[in-house]
Parts: sequence; structure tokens; C-alpha cells
Amino acid sequence: MSTAAASTTRSLVRFGRAPRVIKHLRKSRRTGLPQPHVNFVTREFAPCRLEDHYHNTLRDNLMYMTYKHEVGVRPPPRQIRLTFDPNDPYTKNRYNPPVGGSQLGKKPAPPCMPENVVRLEKIQIHAMVKEAVANKGNLLGAIMMMRALTGETYQGGGHHAVEGIQIVRGKKSVGGWLRPGVPLGVKVDLRGQSMYDFLGTLVEFVLPRLRDFNGLVLPPQSSSVNTPSAVSGVVSFGLPANAMVFFPQIEVNVDAYPKLTGMHIHFVTNATGQGAQDKARALVSGFQIPFIRR
Amino acid sequence: MLSRTALKSPNARAVSLRRAFATEPATSTSKAVSELPPQSRLKKRRTVIATSVILNRSPILTRTPTLFEQAFYAYQARIRRALHNPFPYDFYFKQGSLLETRFNMEERKRERQAFGPNFVSEDVVDPEKAAADKAAVEQLALQEGEGEELMPRKHAADLSDDFKSLDRRGKRNLYLLLQVEEDGNSVWRFPEGGIEQDDFLHQAAQKDLHAECGSHMDTWMVGRSPIGVYKRSPKSTAEAEQIVFFFKGQIMAGQAQTYGELVKDFAWLTKEEIEKHVEKDYWDGVKDILSDH
Repeated sequence: MSTAAASTTRSLVRFGRAPRVIKHLRKSRRTGLPQPHVNFVTREFAPCRLEDHYHNTLRDNLMYMTYKHEVGVRPPPRQIRLTFDPNDPYTKNRYNPPVGGSQLGKKPAPPCMPENVVRLEKIQIHAMVKEAVANKGNLLGAIMMMRALTGETYQGGGHHAVEGIQIVRGKKSVGGWLRPGVPLGVKVDLRGQSMYDFLGTLVEFVLPRLRDFNGLVLPPQSSSVNTPSAVSGVVSFGLPANAMVFFPQIEVNVDAYPKLTGMHIHFVTNATGQGAQDKARALVSGFQIPFIRR
Repeated sequence: MLSRTALKSPNARAVSLRRAFATEPATSTSKAVSELPPQSRLKKRRTVIATSVILNRSPILTRTPTLFEQAFYAYQARIRRALHNPFPYDFYFKQGSLLETRFNMEERKRERQAFGPNFVSEDVVDPEKAAADKAAVEQLALQEGEGEELMPRKHAADLSDDFKSLDRRGKRNLYLLLQVEEDGNSVWRFPEGGIEQDDFLHQAAQKDLHAECGSHMDTWMVGRSPIGVYKRSPKSTAEAEQIVFFFKGQIMAGQAQTYGELVKDFAWLTKEEIEKHVEKDYWDGVKDILSDH
């Protein structure tokens, strides 16, 4: 094979000697870490099994399952009620109310194209720690737990959009309990490789070992299909605190965490419009997350 | 094989179909048919609908990265290692624990691999302790079952060219192809059959699959709409044109059998192998449905 031939001449995965350090790198004033002269952005550093699975198998199947045939151009949406003509000088600055209330849940799905086959955009994990309101030191356990679970750090790999573990603060004042700006939770956005790594761990180590978990419960068939949550293409569920020990990253040193907290997991897909949640569920179940109907 | 016998008499079927969909009273249609001269009725060829299942076995092994990918991944991993944010060792490992010793040894090895042999300086420890640490880590590796021989990535079916095995070519998509007797000569094609009057296309496809390949497999039909269509040109002018609708199926468990009377053999083949087996016309109809991976 050509791999063997290449290894005899020059290895592709080994590197020569590092150059001698003549001048040490400038250190960042904020973090104290050495700063490279140029902005590095690292890409994928290992093959990703679940991503391959998506491109080899899931994408084709999802395209066949969710395809809706349409002939010609779509007609413009029907005007249910007349609005004021904004060009008429008489009604120029008059309040122009949205027609028939919120149209969010009635937005039709975009036409089926090869580019917009449903795919996983990101996984968001978040946890609220109630005790953090009294003492923000209680957040540390949750921060370390997220760090261990995802390996995400602030601007990890040189990506300015990677925010690492973020602290969620209170937004409004709740009488006697919460003030705006009080830290009370943590969240992480996972994209790309780390997203698929987390998904693989969840599906292979955690869900099979949960005692009374048969799958994500689907809403009854009579539930509305026009709610904002049904058209946003997100599948969400939660894990209790006692499920955390099944993550191998946490299992290794459970004793280090004074108190484990549960977490919410959101699978955010690119599906929008009517029927988006069904598409998202089809995608997520392709990654072996079970669903059951009550 | 009811579906096949139903296909044999296209005229009778067509009349009954027309009956089913007619909007005017049945008497007038039968009258219109009887008024036509017999020759024109013969000339008017009817198309016959058939369904076919493209039964797929998804890859069961991960892909081997190409040489370029290997080099790219190694380079990116090296940059990432050089630029990573600080790692809180003391949180994850108890001071002086065996796990910490192992992690440090492995980490030193990885650093040396990425940045060259002189990058990491050896810790100054007495040789007795170093030897004891090494022995302890080796003991731990033995306990955890490291170093066990992995399954080979080439299955025995690959070495013996066993086309019927579902374990062959683990990195590729495989498709079920049948060798059938058609008009005295044997041809390779996907499992196929006609439809009965009340059947939906996707139901007919599943029935035909079982009629030709037996029911000793667990299959799942992907969606209810066809994924492709192929017009089989008639061999003679008297024969009807046939339109084949393809459906995708996934095999979960079990194995195909040569179950139908006309079926002589079956094989699980990759896209390139299918091209060698089927006729040119048929290949042009199906090649875009099959996966290159």
C-alpha cells in the first residue's frame, strides 16, 4: 500500500526538530499566556465517526424521508387582512400591525433542496445551580463538570467565536430571590467535532446505563403543530444529577465534585418552518437517541 | 409471486384500472372500448408499473483517512497542542496517584511525538522510583485490558471474496443485487416486482422484496416515496413499456435468500462492482442513486 511506501521515505505524522527559540513570545497581559505573532485557527484534528455516519448514511436517508415535491415557484402568502398602505401619505406614520397575530408558527418550511437537508448545527448544554444565588462559589462544580464533559475552553483552537463555558446571569429581578446580573448557571455551545464527540459519549455510555429511561417522550398527537417550539427545529431534553456519573469523564473522579447538577441538552438543527421538529427528531434518532410515545 | 402473474396480462389490468378511476358510468366506458377497432387497441401500448428495492448495508467500519488527511490531522493536532489553554491537572488527578503518574508519562510521550525528542526534559527522579512507576503503570494497563489484539479491519469474507457475506467491505456501502432468469438468459438486477391494484408503491416494494429474497431479514424502508425511476425499453413493439420505481431500504439483521422461482443467485456489491454486473442501460438508470462512499 502507498502508506507503507510513504513511511519508508518520510513520515506524514512526525515532524522534524522544532526550531531553536531565539526570542520568546509576547505574553498576553490578560491571561499571562504566550501570544503567537499571527492568528492561528485550528481545524479538525482527528477523523470523526459520527460526522462520517451523517454524510454517508443519514443525509441521504433524511433527504428521502423529508422530501416534499413542489412544482414551480411558490405563490406569495395570502393577505388575510388588509394593512395600511405605507406609501399612502394619509397613513404614512400610522402603526402598521402585523396581520393576524404572530405568524411564527405558520411559517412554511423552505423548499427541499440538497443544501438544506436537515443537519445538526450545534448542541447546547446548560445547567442552573440554585445555590449559586446565595454563594457564587457553588458554580465552580458545574463549571468543572462542563469543562470535563466538553473540553471546551475560551477561544479554544484560536476560534474567536468559541466561547467555552459561559456563565448565565439573572436577567430580571424576582422578589426576594434573584437580582439582575447574579450568576446562577453555566452553558456551553458545542459545534463541529466536539459536538459529535459529546453526542457519541451520551449515546454510548450514558443513555444505555440510565435505569428508567426508555426514550424521549413524544408529545401526544393532538398537540399543536404551530407553536414556536414545533417550528424551530430543536430537540431538547434533560438529564438528572444522578445520570452525570455515567459520563466516563466524570466517572473517573466523581469525588472531586462536591455536588453534581443535572443539565439540559438542546440539539439545534437547521430545520425551520412547519414540521421542523419532526425533521429534527428524525435526525437525532438517526444518531441513536431513542423516542417513545406515551 | 402473485404480483408477477398480475403483470402478465397488462390489457386486462388496464381495463380494470380504468374502471376504478372512471368518472363516467361504467357502461359508457365499456361501450367506448368495444367500439374501437381491435387493431388500434393492440397498437396502443400501455405502460406497466413495477417497484424495486435498493437494499443497502451501511458502512460498519470507519473510513481510513487518506494520506493527506493523516498529515493534515497530525499538523492540526500539533498546533492545537502548542496553543491549548492551561489544563487544571490538580483538579483531575490526586497528587501522587497512579493515574497522575500514567497521565504524565503518556503526556511526555505525546509531547515528544509532536515537538521532537529534545522538547521535554526528563524529570529528575531517582531511577528506582522511575522503574517502580513504570512497572505500576504497566500493571494498570494489564488490568484494564490494554494491548489486546484488535479485530482486523479486513474480514475473512474479503480475503475469500465471499460476495454473499454482509461482513465484506466494511468501509463501503453495499447493495443487494440478484441474478435472475429473464427470457432464457440470466441478468443481474435489484429485487423487483409488479404491483397489485390496491397496493401503495412502498408496500408493493416491500412485498416484492420478500417474494424474491425471503423474509429472513430485518429491513426498513426509507420513506414512502420513490428515490429514482428507470424506464425499461420494451424488447418488441407488442410488449408494454415498463417503468420501475426504486425505493431505498436498509438491512438491519438477517440475510437474503434465493427465494423466488426465477432468482438464481444474490450478491452484496459496492457501486463499482455493480457496474461490472449489470447491463449498460440499467446502469445508466441506477448509477446516480448509489453511494460513492
